[in-house]
Amino acid sequence: MADLVGWWDDFFWGSIVVVQIFAVSLVMMVLFGLMGAAAKLSNSRIAQSIASAYTVIFRGTPEILVLLLIYFGSAIALTSVAKIFDPSITFLDIPPFWAGSFAIALVVGSYATETFRGAFQGVNPGLIEASRALGISQFNTFIYIQIPEMWRLALPAFGNHMLSLIKDTALISIIGLNETLFVAEQAIGTTGKPFTMYVVVGCIYLSFSTIITLTVMLLERKANQHLAGAR
Amino acid sequence: MIDFQLIADSIPKMLVGIGLTLELMLVSAVLGTILAVILLLMRISGRRYLSWPALTYIYIFRGTPILVQIFIIYYGLPQLDFVRESIFWPILREPYGCAVLALALNNGAYMSEIFRGGVLGVDKGLGEAASALGLSIRQRFMYITTPIAVRLAIPAYSNDIVSLMKSTALASTITLLDMMGIARTIVAETFAPYEVFISLAVIYIIMTFFIQKGFGYFERYMSRYLKRDA
Repeated sequence: MADLVGWWDDFFWGSIVVVQIFAVSLVMMVLFGLMGAAAKLSNSRIAQSIASAYTVIFRGTPEILVLLLIYFGSAIALTSVAKIFDPSITFLDIPPFWAGSFAIALVVGSYATETFRGAFQGVNPGLIEASRALGISQFNTFIYIQIPEMWRLALPAFGNHMLSLIKDTALISIIGLNETLFVAEQAIGTTGKPFTMYVVVGCIYLSFSTIITLTVMLLERKANQHLAGAR
Repeated sequence: MIDFQLIADSIPKMLVGIGLTLELMLVSAVLGTILAVILLLMRISGRRYLSWPALTYIYIFRGTPILVQIFIIYYGLPQLDFVRESIFWPILREPYGCAVLALALNNGAYMSEIFRGGVLGVDKGLGEAASALGLSIRQRFMYITTPIAVRLAIPAYSNDIVSLMKSTALASTITLLDMMGIARTIVAETFAPYEVFISLAVIYIIMTFFIQKGFGYFERYMSRYLKRDA
C-alpha cells in the first residue's frame, strides 16, 4: 500500500477515462448493432451482404489488430492530407480516445448485430398482429411493442457485450490513452512495483464489471416484471 | 496507392509466425479445457468448500481484461521473491510460458461456464432413467451426461476457441513474435499499416472460418443420433 501513495489520484483519473471511453463506445456500439441488425433484417440484398461482411470481418479479427489498423491507418491518411496544406507537418493523428472507442465499438458492435437481429426475430409475431388488430399504427407497434420485447430478449447477451467493452478499454492504453493501465505503467517506471500496480488495475476493472453485472441483473428484473405473475 | 509488392513480401514473413499463433492457441486450449473441467466438477460438486473457490476464480478471471492478466503474470510476478525462487520460475521467466499460462487461466474460466451450460442443458429425465436402470452416479456422469453436454456445448465452445485465437494476438504485447508481433515490427519499419494489417486480418478471418467449419462437422458428428431419416 505504501507504494501507492501519490498514485491514487492518477488511478482515479484513469478510471474516469475508462468510464468516458465506455460511455462513448457503448453509444456507438448500440448504433452499429442496430444498423447491422436493421440491414440483416431488411429486404435489400446489398444491405444484407454489407452487414454479413461486417460481422464476418470484425468477429474474425483480433481487437488489437482492428485498433492498431484504425489508429495508424487514420493517422497516415490524416498526415498525408495535412501535408498538402502544410508541408512541415510530420505526424497527425486522431486522438487515441476517439480512435480507440471507435475501434472497440466496431468490434463489439458486430457481436451486438447478431444479438439484436436474434432478439427482433424472437419477438412473438402474435404480439405484433394483436397490436395491429387493435388499430395501433405500425410505427407505434414498433416503438411500444417490438422495442420493449426485443430489449427484454437481448438483455442477457447485451450485458456480456457491455462487459467485453469495458474490458477492451484496457487495450487502448497500447496506443497511448492515459487510462488505468497506462497510469500503472508510469507508476511502475517510478516505483518499480509492477505486481502491485497491475493488481490495482485488475481491481478497478473487477469493480467496473461487478457494477455492470449488477445493473444488468436489475434491468432484467425490470424488463421481466410483467411475466412475474404468469409463473 | 496500395503497395502490392509490400503485401506480397509481408505475407510470407507474417506466416512464419502462424506456427507460434497456433501453438499458443492449441496448448492453452488444452490446458484451459482441463482447468475448465476441474472448475466445473468443483462447481457442481455441491460442496461449499469446493464450489466457492471455483466461483471466485471464475468471477475474477472473467471480470478483468486478459491484457491485465498477461501483464500481471509477465511483468508483475517477478516482483515477488517467492515466485523467483519457486520451481515455476523457468516457465514464468519466458514470455512464451507467461502467455500460455495467462491464456489458459483466462479461457479455463470462460470454458467452465460453457460446460456448465451444457451440463445444465441435459434433460433430467435421462438421468432418472439411467439411475432407474441401475447406473451409478459416476457411470451416469460418464456415459449419459458427458456425451450430451459435450454436444450442447459445442457451438459456444467453438466461439470460445475463436476468441482464444484472437487473444493470442495479445502475446505480441509481451515481446512474442506471433503473427501479430511480426506484423507490428513490419509496420514499425515500413509505416504501411493498411497493407500489412489488412493482409493479417484476412489471415485471421480465414483461420476463424476453418475453426468454425471444423466445429460444425464435429457438432454434426455428435448430433448424428438425432437424425431421423438415416
